[in-house]
Amino acid sequence: MSISQAISPVSDPPVAVWLQTDANNAKVQVGGNVNVYSLGGIWTQIRDSQDSWLKQGDSKSKSLIFDASKVTFLDGAGIAFLIGIEEAQATAGAKFDLVGLDARYEPLLKEFNPISNLFPIPAVKPQRSFVVSTGMATQNLIDDAVGLISFTGHLFSDLVWSIRNPKQVRWGDFVNAAVEAGLAALPIVGLVSFLIGVILSFQAAIGMEQFGAVSFVGPLAALGIVREMGPLITAILLAGRSSAAFAAEIGTMTVNSEVDALVSGGLSPIRFLVVPRVLAGILVAPILTLYSDIVSIFSSMLTMLIYGIPFVNFYNGMLAAVGIEDILSGLLKATLFGVVVSAMGCLRGMQTGTGAAAVGISATRAVVSSIVMIVLVDGIFAFISYKTGF
Amino acid sequence: MNAPNTPNTLSTSSNPTCAIDVQNLTVGYGSNILMQNLNFSVNNGEIFVILGGSGCGKSSLLKNLFGLYQPLAGDVLIEGQNITAARGAERQKIMRSFGVMYQEGALFGSMNLLDNVTLFMQEYTQLTETQMNLLARCKLDLVGLLPFESYMPSEISGGMQKRAAIARAMALDPKILFLDEPSAGLDPITSADLDSTIQDLSKNLGITFVIVSHELASIYAIADKVIMLDKDAKGIIAEGDPKVLRDTSKDPRVHQFFNRIISKDLA
Repeated sequence: MSISQAISPVSDPPVAVWLQTDANNAKVQVGGNVNVYSLGGIWTQIRDSQDSWLKQGDSKSKSLIFDASKVTFLDGAGIAFLIGIEEAQATAGAKFDLVGLDARYEPLLKEFNPISNLFPIPAVKPQRSFVVSTGMATQNLIDDAVGLISFTGHLFSDLVWSIRNPKQVRWGDFVNAAVEAGLAALPIVGLVSFLIGVILSFQAAIGMEQFGAVSFVGPLAALGIVREMGPLITAILLAGRSSAAFAAEIGTMTVNSEVDALVSGGLSPIRFLVVPRVLAGILVAPILTLYSDIVSIFSSMLTMLIYGIPFVNFYNGMLAAVGIEDILSGLLKATLFGVVVSAMGCLRGMQTGTGAAAVGISATRAVVSSIVMIVLVDGIFAFISYKTGF
Repeated sequence: MNAPNTPNTLSTSSNPTCAIDVQNLTVGYGSNILMQNLNFSVNNGEIFVILGGSGCGKSSLLKNLFGLYQPLAGDVLIEGQNITAARGAERQKIMRSFGVMYQEGALFGSMNLLDNVTLFMQEYTQLTETQMNLLARCKLDLVGLLPFESYMPSEISGGMQKRAAIARAMALDPKILFLDEPSAGLDPITSADLDSTIQDLSKNLGITFVIVSHELASIYAIADKVIMLDKDAKGIIAEGDPKVLRDTSKDPRVHQFFNRIISKDLA
């Protein structure tokens, strides 16, 4: 047979037939082009017949002949088929004979000796008790907390270092990160802020109208926006866009051993990768918040026009309710959010495991941790504000 | 040996001994042409090695051969079927007839080795899970990775990842295997074992191998035929049996490559 014949699959099924001569003797007659496609279905049929035959009576006195004399071509799947049948015979303690196999398949068949290696005993997964699982979960939590604390320490020391050595900060990376996290976020922050402004005013106006207090909606909405909504909208959008981006970028660098290369070159990855991004977060978060405040208040003004409140009235009411300290308080909070969001993104990126899936996990963890931290910081800030009046 | 850019006589697509036929192929990216007007053919069951210095476009040529990239000009015929002109389902059908091992292994990171090998079987065959697992274990055994079937790609070394990638490429017992630097980064024993497996598969199952390689020892051991590419000539500068080329080639570039002569010594 020429090789070209072997190469073109011949579709003349069945490639294998089960022949039982008597209770103790059977034969598998294999022929034609035995390959991974032609074996589909037949393999299961033959093995099922073999298993039910072996189960009847004493299997040790049974003998099976695998007749491969009519095979025109046998690929790796054909050899696996043969091995599967041989192993089933061996397991049952029955006899197995291979006849008529072309000599050219012998070397390949020999590669798999002993075939029992191909049939490992499935390992039983050790069951973890509740106590062990709880202990391990606690340990993970502690490890994570320790990682966060030590990262915060490193980050602070490197931020102080960068203030003392401003020339050595990677300003190129800082600019790139600031443009990507700040400038590129303007459209989405604008859109979301506009809509939130409209929704907030509408919702408030519906309730307030019943008390004839629609004129108070403007000041109320404006105060809420500058103190709470502006910083929160910005921070959450930053978490979704930039924190995930930082985690994915640094995560990919970790997977590709680029972070290892920095460490072995004597450079601090925090100073090199994290500081520029955190500085960018510190810069863009308050700016984006201010922009978000302006857009939201403007959209609120437009909404109140529907309720017959002119711009001037809204403006005067707002001036009476919102002081400069309210705006500053919002911006200070936004700055903290900027630090938290960019630092969490970088931390999760640096904690990336190996493989492509790990980068995805890091990006997800970055967004989740950032949002948790935003809420935490917001809560602490609200408490301090309440106590100090700022 | 062919002079650069001299087209061979075109082999017809109906030639039954021809596994791959390359006709007037131009490889490159946009205006950056790496190889021009290549003509060669790979016979059935042959171990065909593509040689050349780093950056001359060997891997790019390989990706053009198996249809991952569209060539700038020319045609590649795989068993008489023009993969360059084929589109959609027709192209996928041609692609199913060969296996590819990428330079970096390109294993799926979220699956263990056994699942990496069975993935394509799950899609294209009607075997049961037990049968697929047995078949996949055979493939892993051939590359010496049987004990590592449940390992994730990230838990094994680079050389092992390469071998696992070869096992995956062989999953459906394709007629043609494209291997991009299979033995680079392997220890000499594993590399020799791999060479012997490649020879067995070629000799006994008639599998055609198209291999990009730098490993001279491995090339001498297994290659039936080599082509040597050159960056400046943008084409094939030598073709034939590697040992013959090593001993008889008058071309200084070929002589330098096969005899590992340092560039400054040549000048």
